[in-house]
Amino acid sequence: MSVGASDPVRTLYRTLLAYAAFAVVIFIAGAVEYAHFEPFHLNAGPHAKVVGVYSYDPASKTTKGQDRDTFSRGDQFAAVVDWSGLPDTITVEAAWFDSFENVVGRVGPGVPSALRDQTIVPAEVPEGLKYHLPGQYVFVVERLDNGRPVEVLGRRVVYVERT
Amino acid sequence: MLAALLAAAVVVVLVGNSLLDYVFLDTIPARATLYGLVAVALIALATYVAVRAADRDPATRRRHLIRAGVLLGLAAMLWLLISDLFVFAQSAGPVVAAVCALVCVPTTAFGLWIVRRIDRNEKEPWRLVLVAAAWGAVVATSLVIWAETFWGAIAINTLVPGPGLDASNAFSAGLFEELGKGAAVLLLFLVMRNEFDDVVDGIVYGAAVGLGFNFMETITYMTNLYAIFSPEGAGGVAAGFQWYARQVLGLFMGHATYTALVGAGIGIARQLPSPRHKVVAIIAGFLVAIAAHFSWDAWLTFFPIETSLFGLVEVHLRTIIMTGPFTAGVIVLLALGLRNESRALHDQLRQEAALGAGAVLPAEVEILAAPWRRFGERLRALDKGGLQAYVRLARLQTAQLDLAMERWHRERREIDTPLEAEQQLRNEILTLRQRAAF
Repeated sequence: MSVGASDPVRTLYRTLLAYAAFAVVIFIAGAVEYAHFEPFHLNAGPHAKVVGVYSYDPASKTTKGQDRDTFSRGDQFAAVVDWSGLPDTITVEAAWFDSFENVVGRVGPGVPSALRDQTIVPAEVPEGLKYHLPGQYVFVVERLDNGRPVEVLGRRVVYVERT
Repeated sequence: MLAALLAAAVVVVLVGNSLLDYVFLDTIPARATLYGLVAVALIALATYVAVRAADRDPATRRRHLIRAGVLLGLAAMLWLLISDLFVFAQSAGPVVAAVCALVCVPTTAFGLWIVRRIDRNEKEPWRLVLVAAAWGAVVATSLVIWAETFWGAIAINTLVPGPGLDASNAFSAGLFEELGKGAAVLLLFLVMRNEFDDVVDGIVYGAAVGLGFNFMETITYMTNLYAIFSPEGAGGVAAGFQWYARQVLGLFMGHATYTALVGAGIGIARQLPSPRHKVVAIIAGFLVAIAAHFSWDAWLTFFPIETSLFGLVEVHLRTIIMTGPFTAGVIVLLALGLRNESRALHDQLRQEAALGAGAVLPAEVEILAAPWRRFGERLRALDKGGLQAYVRLARLQTAQLDLAMERWHRERREIDTPLEAEQQLRNEILTLRQRAAF
């Protein structure tokens, strides 16, 4: 028996193709979303210098020790940014993202010269918690366009260990 | 040949994954995937033994099934042990991991029982359903860990944190996880063609793989969140919420739905005559599954949950709104498939009865065509002749439905077994009928 118009398997096949068409719509929506938040054409070129990530003393609001890539959950740490290499024609901000991708520290937005006195950006413990989450913490210096981050000018990834 | 190539590709990817993890990625539990190869080898061996059992006489079959069961059990335990030791044991502890695994067993077993029951005309063998679930739990998770971690490492170092990064990671999860899980359904289709009849069977095997994957993923999330929040005094609540979200609310609306869509595509391909249509159906099934998985991971953040009592309502609404339509899609395919199957079997039973060969009697046609009437007859047998009579009648009914299924596939030119096989089935039915007489 061939698959003719009256074959019920044909109905199943067509139903599946209709689902697949819907799947393509979802992929297109995903691609549009991706392109909107990752606009390839908006590349300004300048790079922000992330000097390092250091242990942080919240009382004195200063950093200490060596540049590090790993911290324990109880450590306080902060990134140090050198804003001087960035032109005042752009709007920037610096932010920490924890391992759940929540923003846990931010400086800006503003033009680089306005942020000159805010070189230390601490990663804060999420509200209601006593310790940092374990996992990757990402620090980024972003360029904003109409209030929306469109480009990462500097980046640093550190790891918060479970113990 | 195709199955062997696919199996070889899976093994190569697994070995490559483990070696690359170990050499290059120090932020993931690399040692776990390397030592996990032993568990994967045990699963492969168990699969081989279980498949061999299908073609043996009852005495040796039982021995093979026990061996396969022991190997699967060893693999599952070893994998849990490895995960526990190298990923979470240091922070969550082995007791927490064991408790997490134990609380997931009843819900996953319930899910598998339901999934197998929905194939009301010809239930799939437990050994294949369990092998499918074990693949989802152990092999599929091993297949994807490196690819997803590597993709994530590149994305986090190149993309702007936010929805764009979420979309990228969601695509990675949808693509790799559905390919890893779908490979199991595809292998079952290629190796066990005689146990893979149509779209209904595809949905059953796909959902079983998804439930297995969900089992392992739930344990991972529960132990992980317990380890994260126990210093804050909320480890039990965090793990309990994960259990509810994944093992109750998301038991069917999640991985089971996604992989059932892959299975539906393969099941529909099983009954299409043209190779081109078969390929299109299989690709379509994968596409829908990947899209469904992608949409959940990418757009989850668009449905934030409040930290109030209303948040409990929102959690349910979010799952129903985001995954419900895909689950409904699977149900539509399942309903259509069951209707086709029932009509075809009814027709074949009628034709077989008209032959007068004695395998199916005219009076049995309407009973065999209706699951509840079949069950009613078995209950009558139980009442008259006890449990033995019930079991014998169940075997007779199963064999009669197997014959009808064989006839259906032959009429559609979907099998190449000789006609003698059909006659052999009739002879077996006549023997079973004699045993079932009460």
